[in-house]
Amino acid sequence: METVPETSPPPQPARSWARLRRELVRSETDRVVSGLAGGIAARIGIPSVYVRAGFIVATLAGGAGIAAYLFGWALTLDDEAGVDHVEAPPATTRQRIAIGALYLGFLGVLQSAGIWFGNDVVWPVGAIVFGAAVIWDRTDDERRQRLTQFARSPEEGPGRARVIGGIALFAIGLGFLFSSVETFDLGPVLIAAAMAAAGFMLLFGPWVMRMANDLAEERRTRIRSEEKAEMAAHLHDSVLQTLALIQRSDDPKRMVTLARSQERELREWLYGEGTRQLGKVRGAIEAMADRVEKDHNIPIEVVVVGDAALDPDTDALVKAAGEAMTNAARHSGADKVSVYVEVNDTSVEAFVGDQGKGFDPEAIDPERRGIVESLRGRMERHGGTVEITSLPGEGTDVQLRVNRRLL
Amino acid sequence: MTSVYLVDDHELFLTGVRTELQQHFDVVGVSGDVDDAIAGIRRADPDVVLIDVHMPGGGGVSVIDNVIETHPEMVFLALSVSDAPEDVIAMIRAGARGYVTKSISPTELVDAVKRVGAGDAVFSPRLAGFVLDAFAGAVPKPTDPELDQLTPREREVLRQIARGFTYKQVASRLSISIKTVETHVSAVLRKLQLSSRHELARWASDRRIV
Repeated sequence: METVPETSPPPQPARSWARLRRELVRSETDRVVSGLAGGIAARIGIPSVYVRAGFIVATLAGGAGIAAYLFGWALTLDDEAGVDHVEAPPATTRQRIAIGALYLGFLGVLQSAGIWFGNDVVWPVGAIVFGAAVIWDRTDDERRQRLTQFARSPEEGPGRARVIGGIALFAIGLGFLFSSVETFDLGPVLIAAAMAAAGFMLLFGPWVMRMANDLAEERRTRIRSEEKAEMAAHLHDSVLQTLALIQRSDDPKRMVTLARSQERELREWLYGEGTRQLGKVRGAIEAMADRVEKDHNIPIEVVVVGDAALDPDTDALVKAAGEAMTNAARHSGADKVSVYVEVNDTSVEAFVGDQGKGFDPEAIDPERRGIVESLRGRMERHGGTVEITSLPGEGTDVQLRVNRRLL
Repeated sequence: MTSVYLVDDHELFLTGVRTELQQHFDVVGVSGDVDDAIAGIRRADPDVVLIDVHMPGGGGVSVIDNVIETHPEMVFLALSVSDAPEDVIAMIRAGARGYVTKSISPTELVDAVKRVGAGDAVFSPRLAGFVLDAFAGAVPKPTDPELDQLTPREREVLRQIARGFTYKQVASRLSISIKTVETHVSAVLRKLQLSSRHELARWASDRRIV
């Protein structure tokens, strides 16, 4: 399946030396060490991985692979522009068998010449190497790229030296290992094992580390992109929708309310105040104010001091405060409503105030009376109190108060 | 006429505020970043500096810190889109005489600048709420009771401000003079700057989180 320059192609007298040099060039694109194997592969039409396997296995034969490689490298030129080199079409099965036979013959010659690490070494390792080459040949490109990243280290030069040194150490170490196992000589076995291990580390160490790094980086990237997607989804559902609404709106008051409620929502989402605790007075009052603000297009300024759990009593206070806000928004004519809630150890107080037109509490119309009675009824059922102060032209103040339940 | 210096990295906003304030004040300079602001304020020596909280290069707090080293009497009014407590408290503790949010109406802003220019403190309802919250509850070990607690009267004034009343309305509701309201608010501001209450210290130290 493989050939080295000395044995193939069969020399033809008609071909001049210069011609041969043109035909066999070191590949620019398919290169691990110098591109020689890639060049040979292109010339004879087989995948370069088999050529490489051939060199590695031949190295086990007394280092002949390295000698052959150096020889081939000295004879060939880099594939430069202007060199009109020949590329063979993919070899046919018959050609492949022929190449393989030639290669085996070459090994046989080496064996009989005594340039050999021993049958126990060359044949099993040769089988492993060529088996790996077949697997490699059948692997898809993407996976190959991941596997070869170790060879394309960021520092191109030292990386190449590392690969060459690693392969040499690994192969020679493995060769000695197998040949000395026979004699059960502990010293050489250990040295050989150490050499093979060092070669292996040199070859695959950076790759293993890079795989680990890549995995961590991949995870980080995935988390980042998930976060980004979540943020994009959120902004799309909230801010972008609101901006679209504002562009379509021609009512300034409505625009202001939209912008305000969007601002509040975004701020809560950004700063995490967001998880508004709905089981609490503060959260409930703010949610109530939001709703009234949206329904009536009027800014509602909320200030809450302290906080308490929401129980039926405090819930009644929140609902009554909501009613008062709605009233102020609907009837006062003021440009904003102020809400102040203070929670202390014994009670919860809420003030809902506006600086609108106010009314005369003594002479109120039946509709207003209904509202006041509803407020009062709600609060009194929970042991609370309502106080309403209003003067025409001076605005209205609603003061609500309940005692806190003792635990 | 009161001279005002504007510091804000948001150009559009800066232009808007400048237009609003020019009718009432002498705008002596504008800056868009921290270093420029420190040099500019020292050079122009204005009566009031209107300053944004969040800016590249250290933010409003670092401008105040630097300017106060050479001009301890410089008056700052903080202006921000944020009303997160840590921002508010950090600016006040750095030395700002007041804090207003950018959603403030132009008239209210003019009023606030006039007020700090005259030596008073400016508390928005929201800021008054923060202060009441921070000073609520018992102090574990009051190192300085006078600074670590509010007097009942100060508390009452703050509650009225938190409810949205103007200083004038607060004065008439509590039957005291406007001057007295201002005195109380200034006293609260001083406590806010000097108190060792741990809530305030925490807010100040957490300010970089946002």
